Amino acid sequence: MRENFQSLENPVFGFPMLGTLKGLMTRKILLMVLALGLCGAQAQVRVVKGGATKAGIDWSRLVASGAAPSEFKRVLEDDLIRSGWFTPAAPGAEFSLVGTAQESGQLTAQIQLFSASQQRWLLSKQYTVAGTAARSLAHRVADDILAAIGRKGMFSGRIVMVGTRSGAKELYVCDMDGGNLQQITSDRSICLAPRWSPDGQRITYTSYLKRWPDVYLIDLASRSRRVLASYSGLNSGGAISPDGSLVALALSKDGSPNLYVRGLGGGAPVRLTTETRAAIASPSWSPDGSHIVYTSDQASTAHPQLYMISRSGGAPKRLTTRGSQNVAPNWGANGLIAYASLLGKFQICVLDPNTLDSKMVSPGDGASYEDPCWAPDGRHIVCSRTQNYRSTIYLLDTLGDPPVAFAQLSGDWYSPSVTAK
Amino acid sequence: MHSKRWMTWLAVGLVAAVVVGSGCKKKTAGSGLGEGDIGGLKGLNIGEGGLGTRPDLNATEIAGQFAAVYFDYDSAQVRDTERAKVEAVAAGLKKSTSGGVIVEGHCDERGSAEYNLSLGERRAMAVRAYLQSLGVDAARIQTKSFGKEKPVALGHDEESWGKNRRAEFVLFK
Repeated sequence: MRENFQSLENPVFGFPMLGTLKGLMTRKILLMVLALGLCGAQAQVRVVKGGATKAGIDWSRLVASGAAPSEFKRVLEDDLIRSGWFTPAAPGAEFSLVGTAQESGQLTAQIQLFSASQQRWLLSKQYTVAGTAARSLAHRVADDILAAIGRKGMFSGRIVMVGTRSGAKELYVCDMDGGNLQQITSDRSICLAPRWSPDGQRITYTSYLKRWPDVYLIDLASRSRRVLASYSGLNSGGAISPDGSLVALALSKDGSPNLYVRGLGGGAPVRLTTETRAAIASPSWSPDGSHIVYTSDQASTAHPQLYMISRSGGAPKRLTTRGSQNVAPNWGANGLIAYASLLGKFQICVLDPNTLDSKMVSPGDGASYEDPCWAPDGRHIVCSRTQNYRSTIYLLDTLGDPPVAFAQLSGDWYSPSVTAK
Repeated sequence: MHSKRWMTWLAVGLVAAVVVGSGCKKKTAGSGLGEGDIGGLKGLNIGEGGLGTRPDLNATEIAGQFAAVYFDYDSAQVRDTERAKVEAVAAGLKKSTSGGVIVEGHCDERGSAEYNLSLGERRAMAVRAYLQSLGVDAARIQTKSFGKEKPVALGHDEESWGKNRRAEFVLFK
């Protein structure tokens, strides 16, 4: 298979990246050498600074006074660094962030962004929110600043994931920096594989709430829940199509786990795959809703690989051959499929379904990276990282910055899904 | 003395040949249930014949009456050495015409949660197919996968993994 990604139009493939499959061994050695000189996994992933191009930003003239304005400024600065496009700099840098953040009952922020090379203001905006909304305002301003420099933001996104801190596997949501954590379910059962609806208002997941593995749909605003699929046997999947009209499910009701599509509002499921001797799982829709990627072990090797199929059925196309297991695909709005590949440990890879070119984007640092989901910026991937049997959520950068842990989360965390916007 | 020792070595050699021969035979494709042609199923594949209705939520469930069936890594084949356990369940079910069995499929901790849900379901369905071939009415057999969510052994080695790749039997009335 070709290793040349330069021909691709997508910017993700246009940069030298950390850990192509070819470069895996040298990267591994490099990271091991770095790890030897450091103590603990936290330091290991934070000290190394990657090769992605960044612009200097001077925020010394953004003045915050009071508790909420200070929190606003701190979260905003963290977001801008985490976006991967900026590095903090002294006055005279390419970008200057100027303005005030004040609190008087409400939180008011006056934000201006100046470009030195263009000699003009790229953003000039006033925001007023409740004093308690400092964090969400910071995320909003971060995305506005990114839009002003022509980049897609991700900080208005929300993550849903499985957490174990209550003793049972329940669903939680949090911001893109791990803040604002909220417990969503209290099923006291087993909650698995949450996915956002395309509008970010609802969550599908698999739960044993009624003793059998069924797929549920939660409306986040009302916290109301309804059953999406509770046929005999296994019900899982629950991926809602980009237009919000259909849901893709993995069901075993007809005698073997297969892929089905059904109207979100109801109706009979239409079977897409016709395997009688395979474990089919993990559906994810293409951005235009025409195809579904999924995992199946139907090949004679009996190990799971990625396949794609038209939403109207037909012959599936096998997408992966490298790696003894390729699982948990997530088809991003950028057209690329992120997935977990067993290469010694599980690693996150990104695949172009048109050329079948793939490359590894996790660092190969001895940890296991699984369950990837694209962030709204189309650059970062949220995934779980397991080391020494402890699992937490990480942000991976496909342009080469080192992974960042969602450090404030205690306990074990799995299966993150990120909203589309 | 000399000839007696020679005879002993010949006997050891013959026994070894038989053991090696039978060992190889077990590795041939199609032995075990679930992947190759399933003998004794009268052409019935796993994946043919839908599942019946789930038992009532208030049904009495009894676990631990029958031994668990163990599986190889990433495999849903019922090993030849495990068949007798399924046959015992079939015999038990045939003693009565009421109630039935939930076959629970489980996996080890490795791999994605969702893939393991489907793999566990396939393990349960392989056992279901063998029960059917032994004459148990399909309507009395339900399958339930727990994927890798309910391990019985909590170690992170092959010894624990082998115990967790299993199908369990829960009777319901």
